[in-house]
Amino acid sequence: MAAQLWWIVHKDLVSECRAWRVWPAMLLFGLVVAFVFGLQSDLPPDQRPQIVGGLLWLAIFFAGMQAVDHSCAAEREEGCWDGLLLYPIGPAAIYLAKLGVNLIALAALECLLIPIFAALADVPLMGNPGAMLLVALLGNVGICAVGTLLSGLVAGVRHAGSLLVLIVLPLVIPVVLAAAEATRLAAEGQLGPEWWRWVHLLATFAAIFVTAGATLFDFVIRD
Amino acid sequence: MPISAQRNEGTVPIFAQRKWDCPTPGRSLAFQIIPDLLAAALLVAAVLASSLLAPTEKTMGDAQRILYVHVAVAWCGLAGFLTMAGAGLLYLLRRDLAWDHWAQAAAEIAWLCCGLTLVTGSFWARAAWNTWWTWEPRLAATAILWAVSSGYLIVRSGVEDPHRRARTGAVLALVGAADVPLVIMATRWFRGIHPVSPQMDPAMRFVLLLSIVAFSAFFGLLLVRRRGQLRLERLLGALEREADG
Repeated sequence: MAAQLWWIVHKDLVSECRAWRVWPAMLLFGLVVAFVFGLQSDLPPDQRPQIVGGLLWLAIFFAGMQAVDHSCAAEREEGCWDGLLLYPIGPAAIYLAKLGVNLIALAALECLLIPIFAALADVPLMGNPGAMLLVALLGNVGICAVGTLLSGLVAGVRHAGSLLVLIVLPLVIPVVLAAAEATRLAAEGQLGPEWWRWVHLLATFAAIFVTAGATLFDFVIRD
Repeated sequence: MPISAQRNEGTVPIFAQRKWDCPTPGRSLAFQIIPDLLAAALLVAAVLASSLLAPTEKTMGDAQRILYVHVAVAWCGLAGFLTMAGAGLLYLLRRDLAWDHWAQAAAEIAWLCCGLTLVTGSFWARAAWNTWWTWEPRLAATAILWAVSSGYLIVRSGVEDPHRRARTGAVLALVGAADVPLVIMATRWFRGIHPVSPQMDPAMRFVLLLSIVAFSAFFGLLLVRRRGQLRLERLLGALEREADG
């Protein structure tokens, strides 16, 4: 199973590394959003942690949606769906592989955005690296689990890119809110019960959406 | 030559797939009008009861009467959402477009009811908390449901093939249904300011129950009528294709 997943992850990563079709645009978009938000967040230092988590996760979401949209749209546009279905693996494995590629894309994006947001807002986002890593991981899984499933669903539909953001954002708002709050608390060094409550919410959503995605992807990819 | 559905209905004439899909010349006019009259009577009774029978609340005054509409439409919105997800699941299992008609009708009802919930809730918030909107978890969750049902309807409108449209809608509805527990549990998971099962006068409780029943009957009737309209649209499309050769 792991080897089969790796085939698809490797294929998508090699394809992206050869053509650089999406990741540069995604990273650049994230940078622009970070600078725009940075210009707008001219607040007193004690108030900055209140908003930096929300701005960071909105930037991650909007920039990351480009990679998520591309993960299934490219297969449709280039007529590769049928070839993908001929792989000796189930739909759930294809879904998990696409999810893995999107998680790698978002992790790359966060490696760029978190230090930039920390520098622009002068907030110690990496003051608790373990806590921030956990929040980032669970937040990424929540966003990518929904995004990957729905990108397969709208691939081939008119205006699929804008539609994807439209339908994914309402579904992942709880994830974005929970990740933003957990990020704020981690930046303020408050890793008490309140922080754990948000982390539990993130983990619950991640578990629900990954399970739903792996179960429903069969209906998404078969015409 | 009989008109046949294109896919899994095989060669069964489209007008004779199920007994409730048949044209309705045999039904009397009274049979069709009675449900409408009953729903209208219930709605009038609920409006009169909430205006005249329910006692005036001491703190909020007459503004509290918004509750009788707000709770009823909120319940109908949730029921519409669950119906949409249930019908979507049944479509995925049976690949029968009749279930998709139920899902679309329920989605439109859910969209309308969630919108009404937000509007009436906003009026309530203004009267009770002196603000039109606050980021309270249950308000936010209802807004999320409204946005999900809006996205569901927009995505459906972009897909031409009926079975692909049904499949897309079904998956989206099932994922969206994951948000319904959040709506229900929101005030229990977090310390919001939204009231949960407040103590009420027995007359108030009766009027609230009557209002919920009346709005449920009204929106249930809307659901059935809209589903019938969607079925007729599909039959008309089949007739037009047949006429075009």
